[in-house]
Amino acid sequence: MSILIVMIPLSILLLVGAGIAFFWAVEHDQFDDLETPRLLPLLDADPSKADAESKPGEDDAR
Amino acid sequence: MSAHALCWHCGEPLPPGADATQAIVAGVAHAVCCAGCRAAAEWIDRLGLADYYRLRSVASPRPDDPDRASRAAEAWRRPALARYAVRALPGGKQEALLLVDGIRCSACAWLIERTLGAVAGVASVRVNAAAQRARIVWDPSRTDLPALLHAIARTGYSALPLDAAALDDARQRESRAALKRLVVAGFGAMQAMMYASALYLGGLDRIDPATRDLMRWFGLLVATPVVFYSARPFFGGAWRALRARTLSMDVPVAAAIALIYAASLIDAVRGAGEVYFDSVSMFVFFLLVGRYLEMRARHRAAHLADAMARLTPAFAERYRLDGSLERIGALELEPGDRVHVAEGMRAPADGMLESASCRVDEALLSGESAPVRKETGETLVAGSIVVEGPAIVRVTQVGADTIAAGIAADVARAQTERPRLARAGEREAAGFVARVLTLSALCAIGWSLVDPSRAFAATLAVLVVSCPCAFALAVPAAITRALSLLAQRGVFVVHADAIENIARATHVVVDKTGTLTDPGDVVVHADDTALALAGALARGSRHPVAQAVARLSCAVPMKIATDVRTTNGGGIEGRIDGRDLRLGQRRFALGDVSACDDDGAVVLAEAGRVIATFHPAERVREHAHQALAALAADGLDIEMLSGDAASRVSAIAARLGIARWRARQSPGDKLDRLRELRAGGARVIAIGDGINDAPVLAGADVAIALASGAELAQATGDVILDADRLQALGDMRAIARETLRVLRQNQRWALAYNLVAVPIAALGFVPPWLAAIGMSASSLIVVLNALRIRAPFGASPPAHAAATRLRTCP
Repeated sequence: MSILIVMIPLSILLLVGAGIAFFWAVEHDQFDDLETPRLLPLLDADPSKADAESKPGEDDAR
Repeated sequence: MSAHALCWHCGEPLPPGADATQAIVAGVAHAVCCAGCRAAAEWIDRLGLADYYRLRSVASPRPDDPDRASRAAEAWRRPALARYAVRALPGGKQEALLLVDGIRCSACAWLIERTLGAVAGVASVRVNAAAQRARIVWDPSRTDLPALLHAIARTGYSALPLDAAALDDARQRESRAALKRLVVAGFGAMQAMMYASALYLGGLDRIDPATRDLMRWFGLLVATPVVFYSARPFFGGAWRALRARTLSMDVPVAAAIALIYAASLIDAVRGAGEVYFDSVSMFVFFLLVGRYLEMRARHRAAHLADAMARLTPAFAERYRLDGSLERIGALELEPGDRVHVAEGMRAPADGMLESASCRVDEALLSGESAPVRKETGETLVAGSIVVEGPAIVRVTQVGADTIAAGIAADVARAQTERPRLARAGEREAAGFVARVLTLSALCAIGWSLVDPSRAFAATLAVLVVSCPCAFALAVPAAITRALSLLAQRGVFVVHADAIENIARATHVVVDKTGTLTDPGDVVVHADDTALALAGALARGSRHPVAQAVARLSCAVPMKIATDVRTTNGGGIEGRIDGRDLRLGQRRFALGDVSACDDDGAVVLAEAGRVIATFHPAERVREHAHQALAALAADGLDIEMLSGDAASRVSAIAARLGIARWRARQSPGDKLDRLRELRAGGARVIAIGDGINDAPVLAGADVAIALASGAELAQATGDVILDADRLQALGDMRAIARETLRVLRQNQRWALAYNLVAVPIAALGFVPPWLAAIGMSASSLIVVLNALRIRAPFGASPPAHAAATRLRTCP
């Protein structure tokens, strides 16, 4: 059982680490808007490239 | 291509004969309705952001007149205004928070981020679509605020810089702190539970005393931040309540937390007895979950109300000494200045009316919904809307001295208030708290007479098991769920009381034009000159038919009208090129009371002679029939009140299956009818377009304002409904009723649980850890029960589902 004396403090250290990471995330606006970002990856194609491929003369990009 | 009828950019119907206006986007020409839309579309294309059109799920807002927008942007160059909106950051950068009107979906947020990101000198842009805010950091040596506002305006959105003080948003701080406390409590509860289970299992398995003590100390280690950090709001609340000599729910909660923690601490130190670090952590965690949910709902409503409670405008039009107008910030006004307030605009400061009499809507001040007539020399309050104007005002008080500023403070206070249902729930809980504290004391005394060794455990069990949080959560959990369900469907509940009122309503009163119908095209019998005259008059009015006429007149050379006055329920009169003209219902336009105007036409007349006739061709809104049928099926009496002619009203009523209707109703008539219904014991839902119908809406039990786009922010009502989502009305009623049902269920459950659990605990049959589980489970049941609130089967899909369905074709 003496391994617990090492493992439990270790788990608490990990916990504190996770807590610090979370506090950091909260302070850096990661939790302020939970609605918009979930859709952004779907939209975030690089528009300049997409545009370059569909320059005038080609078919409608739609 | 199906883009014949609608504008490629803003989705509004194209004016007939406007083939000339086309925007070239990604090499393809698309028809747009006006020069503003063309400029916005081509600007977006030039920035290489044409993908926006592929990504968006909702049509874009109709851009403001570009000239006006850029004038507005330039005004922010003035130092006095810039000081208000811009904050200097360390390192020479500047920061501002903008309220962007017209953000409708994530594609809008994407477009704005890209557009601003493309401006040289912008360091970072963050757009929050939910709150319609954009936070921008830029390098002042390379760009400035007007340039940024201009960039936004060119894409068709209008942005209003907010007070720099709002950058440190109180709500944001509150929500961050709550989240941190919640997570600390969650972590703590998990760990404490783990050590506690080792102790409980060890109790059966003969744990050796050294390990047992170790587990206790670790328990203490994780429970301490939970009690001293996460639970601080409870101690604070209890202290405030006690100082005010009242009992809040925080009092027994704080007492229980302190007692459990102190007792466990003593036991851990002396190495005997029991520790309850797991119970206390879990207790705090579950309470915080409930509080967090409630706070989220409150903030959502407040964000929405923020956009609406723009009581005073940011700008004023001040007369220079030579009589010309200059546009300045409302903050720069000084007592003694003369300002011009156009019709439909809000007064920028308190002042004395200098022009001839006008009518103003002071609803924000007096609650009196009908517009009031003001004579020369009377006081005009900042934030009141000039309904019939324009007005010239000599400023007497500005800024924080105005009556409106005081009201804004009141509004802010009201926003933090809870809905009536929640307040009733709280009162109930407070009474319950008093009984619990008494019972605990009795229990402690009783047990110390019978068996002092069990007194502490039994008292603790009573305190914990009877935790009033099931009571406290019963209402907010249900309301939060309902609010979020409704918001997903494009229904924004501004006053949470509305849910109760909607569920209990018996009558629905609807407006016709702009609510059930959409004044689409106007069939015109006029030459271009007459059209230009009519357009000049119509441009100043917000009536849907007038706006349709104004749109139509875009195609012909513009004229300017002066001395424009509006008569509600009649029409518009004004002077153009020295001619006195009237546009409106035949009766009004001809000044002839006996004129027959049952054809519903709008007439342009000069001195009793008809110049042109406009026949508005109304379209019944999509889903209007479905929405009304759903409400009628739910047992509501539906009545249509319209200012329009009888023949047209009856035609629409027949098409929509409305049995009862009244035509030719002035706003006053409508209000009287509402009073009559309510006097008869009916609870009335009024549905209108939120701007023209605001006074009528204010007279109902629940006001539902329909609005679209930028107008969403200006509409006033208990509930704001996206005008394109009328079908949500049926869902709204169903959800409201379901909410009320679940809420009652929750309250009954909380009562039943407490009635059963408390006596058992008082008799000493419940160990504190079991009490903590019982309490948590009872709160959890309340929350889970609230999650059962759903929209009825076959209901309209939530708005976000539509938003994720990327549109491929306009």
